Amino acid sequence: MTMTPVVSVRDLHKTYGKTGQKQYEALKGISFDVETDEFVGIMGASGSGKTTLLNILATLDAPTSGEVEINQQVLANLKGNQIADFRAKQVGFIFQDFNLLENLTNYENIALPLSLQNISRKKAQPEVQRIAKQLNIESLLEKYPTEISGGQKQRVAAARALVSHPAILFGDEPTGALDSNSARDLLEMLNTINHDQQVPILLVTHDPFSASYCQRILFIKDGKIGQEIKKGTHTRQQFYQAILDTLGTFD
Amino acid sequence: MLNKLAFAGVKSRLKDYVVLFFGLIMSSAIFYMFESLATNKAFIKANAQQITGANFIFLFGAILLTIITLVYVFYANSFLMSMRRHDYGLFMMLGAKQSKIGQLILVETMAIGTIASVIGTIIGWGFTASVGPFLMSRMIGNKLQHFNAFYVPAIVTTIVLYLILFLIAGIINRLALTKTSVLQLLKGDSQPNRPVLKPVSQLLQVVVGVLLLMLGYYAMSHVEKFALSTIPIGLVTIVLGTYFLFNAIFVWLILLLKRSGWASLGLRNFTLSQLSFRLHNYTKILSVVSILIALSLGAITVGIGMQKQVTALSTASEAYTMAIKNPSRHTNHLIDKLTLDTKVTYQQKETSKIIYYRADQFKDRPLEFTGFQSPLNSKQKNRLASPTYQNLTSTQLTQHPEKLMALQPNAPQKPFRLVSRTTFNKLPVHAQRLTLFRVKNLQADKTDLKHIVTSMGNPAVDTVPGAYGTFVLATAMFGGLEFMGFFLGIAFLAMLASCLMFKILSGAATDKRRYEMLNKIGARPSRLRASIAREILVLFVLPAIVGVVHVLFGLLMFKVLMLNPYYQIWLPFTIFFVLYMIYYIITVRLYEHIVLPKLRIDN
Repeated sequence: MTMTPVVSVRDLHKTYGKTGQKQYEALKGISFDVETDEFVGIMGASGSGKTTLLNILATLDAPTSGEVEINQQVLANLKGNQIADFRAKQVGFIFQDFNLLENLTNYENIALPLSLQNISRKKAQPEVQRIAKQLNIESLLEKYPTEISGGQKQRVAAARALVSHPAILFGDEPTGALDSNSARDLLEMLNTINHDQQVPILLVTHDPFSASYCQRILFIKDGKIGQEIKKGTHTRQQFYQAILDTLGTFD
Repeated sequence: MLNKLAFAGVKSRLKDYVVLFFGLIMSSAIFYMFESLATNKAFIKANAQQITGANFIFLFGAILLTIITLVYVFYANSFLMSMRRHDYGLFMMLGAKQSKIGQLILVETMAIGTIASVIGTIIGWGFTASVGPFLMSRMIGNKLQHFNAFYVPAIVTTIVLYLILFLIAGIINRLALTKTSVLQLLKGDSQPNRPVLKPVSQLLQVVVGVLLLMLGYYAMSHVEKFALSTIPIGLVTIVLGTYFLFNAIFVWLILLLKRSGWASLGLRNFTLSQLSFRLHNYTKILSVVSILIALSLGAITVGIGMQKQVTALSTASEAYTMAIKNPSRHTNHLIDKLTLDTKVTYQQKETSKIIYYRADQFKDRPLEFTGFQSPLNSKQKNRLASPTYQNLTSTQLTQHPEKLMALQPNAPQKPFRLVSRTTFNKLPVHAQRLTLFRVKNLQADKTDLKHIVTSMGNPAVDTVPGAYGTFVLATAMFGGLEFMGFFLGIAFLAMLASCLMFKILSGAATDKRRYEMLNKIGARPSRLRASIAREILVLFVLPAIVGVVHVLFGLLMFKVLMLNPYYQIWLPFTIFFVLYMIYYIITVRLYEHIVLPKLRIDN
C-alpha cells in the first residue's frame, strides 16, 4: 500500500510524576500506524496504558516524548485554540459513558460540533439529518438523552462524533455500558461506517467480542505493544477465537 | 478513619472552603459592627441628642439584618453541603451509619460556624474600632463620646445568633441528607428537567405578575393615599409579581432565543440550555435577590439622599447662614475668610421692650429672604434645589416682621422698629451690631463655620439664628438615618451577592462533567470561559434589572419625606454596581476554577 497512514505513532513515551518524585512510566515506546480504511483494536488489561494512549491520540494529554501525526498534522505543533479546533474537526470520539450533554436535546447534541465550528443552523440541519438517518435515530432527535436507552445514547454519541466528517473515529470502550444486543448493534454499525464511508476507527477495549469486529488488534502490556494479530480472511468467529487464544497466552 | 477522610475531603477543596469561610467571617463581622454601634447603650445615651429616634431605627435595622443573615447562612450551608455530599455518600457506601453521618454533619457545620463567627467578631471589632467612629462622626457631624468598639453584649449577640443559625442549618442539612439515597449522593442531581412551554399557565402568570407589580408600583407612587399600608401592599405584590415574572417570562424568552438562528453558533445554544436548566431552580433565589437588591439599593440611595437633603433643606430654610450679634474682631476675621455670598452688618439699639434699627441701612442693603415655606409643596421643591434670594422692601419688612425677628440672637420674639438715622443716634442706649452673612456652600464650609461658633464662646447652635443651626440639627437628625441606610445597604449587598454566588457555586460540581465533555469534543477553552461568563452574567444581571426597576418605583414612597428622592441618583447606583460587579467577577473566577478541566496540553 502506498497510502499515507491517517494515524502515525512513533516511539511514544509517557511518564507520570514530577522529576525528583516517584515516577511511573505508563507508555514505554509505542509505535504503530492506522491506514485510512482500517478498523483497529487496542487491547490490554487495566493499567496497561490503553487509556493514556487514547488520551494522547485525542490531544487530551501530551506525551513525554515521541511523535503523533494524525491526518498529516503533528500534534505537538498544535498550540492553544488549534488543539481544541483539531479535536472538533479531525477527531470523532465515543466514550463508555456516552458523554452526552443532558441539558441539550439529542439533535442539539449532534449539532454541537458543527456550531462549535460556527456553521449556521441552515447548513447544519441537512448534516444532522443525514447522519441521523444513517444511524437510524431520526425519531429520537427531539428527545433528551435521559429519555432514551443506553444503546440509543451511544448511537447519538456516534452521530455526534461523525457529523463533522472526522479524519478518524476513536472509541473508548464504547460497548462497556451496553447490554450484549445493543453492543452488537453498535459494533455492526461501526463496521458499516468503516466499510461504506471509509472512516478509520481506533477502538480501545478489553472485551474480546468487541475486538473481534476489528481487522487488526494491537495488544498492549506494561506500556509496550506486545503482540499484533490480523483478521485477514478469517470469519469473525474464527478471529474471536484467535483473540481469546492470544489473550490466554498473553497474560 | 472517618475523620481522616473528612479532612482529606476538606483539603482537596481548600480554595472553596476559604471562600465559604471568608463569606461567613465577613457576614459575622458586619453583624458585630452593626450590633456594637446600634445596641451600645452607653454610646446611644451619650449621643441621644444627635441620634434622634436611634433606638427604633437601629432595632428595625437589626431585625432586617438578622433576616438576611438567616438567608445567607442557609445558602452558605447549601454550598457546604454540595461540597460534602459526595464524601458523605462515600462514607455511607463504606458502611458508615446514618446516625454517624448525621453527627459528622452537625459537628462540621457547628465547627465552621463557631470558627467563622469568632474570627468574624474579632475582625468586626477591628472594623468598628478603626472605621466606626469615622463613619459615624462623618455622618452625624459631631465627635462621638463614650464610644468603645469592644462591647460585650454585641459579642454575645453575634456569637449566639450565629451558633443558633448554624445549629438550625446543621439540623436541616442532616435531615436533608438522611432523606437522600446513597446513590443520589454519589451521583449528584444529574437528572434534567425538561423545559416545556405551557402557554396558558405561563401567559396567566405573566398577566398576574404584571398586574401585581403594577398594583405595587401604584401603591408606592400614591403613598399619601395608602399611608402606612403601602409597605405591606408593596412587599406582597412585588415579591409575588417578581416571582411570577421570573417563572414565566424569562424561561419563555430563553426558549424563544434558543429557536432563533443566533443561538446556533458556538456555545450559545449550550449557554442558553444551561440557563433554562437553571432558571427553574433559580426562580426563587433570583426573586429574592432582586427584592434584596431593591432594598439595599433603596437604602443606600435614601441614605445618601437624606444627607443631600439636609444641606438643601437648611440652605433654603434661611437667607443667612448665621446671624451674630457684636462679632469680635477675631470672629469677623474668620467670617471674611469664608466663601461668602453676602455679608451685611446692621446697627441696632436694644431697650427692654424693643429693638431699634436704622431705616437707611435697610434701604441701602435690604434684608433678603428665601420665601421658603414647606418642602412638600412641589413648586417650592424646585426652588429648593437652588434657592433664590429676594430683597425685602421696608413695607414688606413691616408686614412680615418675623423675617427680621428670627435673625435676632437670643431675642426672636422681640419687636423692632425702623427709625431714621437721627432718631437712632439720639436713643440713649449703647449701639450694637448685628452681622448677617451667607456662605455659598454650607456643606463645604461646615468646619470653618464651626470655628466661628467656637470663636463666639461656643454657644448652643440652636441659639445662633440662621441656616447653620438648622444644618447642624438636621444633620444630627438625618445622620442616623443616613448611617443606617448606608450601612444596611452595603451589608445587604454583600450578603445577597454572596447568596447568589453560593447558589451558583453549589451547582458547579454537577456542571463540571458538562464542561469536561465539551472540552473533549473540541470546544475552545476561551469559548468555555465565555460561556461561563455569559451564563453567570445573566444570573447576576436579571435580578439587577428587576431590582433597579423596583427601586425606581420604590423611591416614589420617599417623595413625602424627601425633596427629590432621585437627586444625584447615579452616585449610590455606581457604588452599588461596582461592588456587585466585583462579586460577579469573583463568582466567575471560582466557578471556572471548579468546572474547567485542567489539562497540561492546554497551558
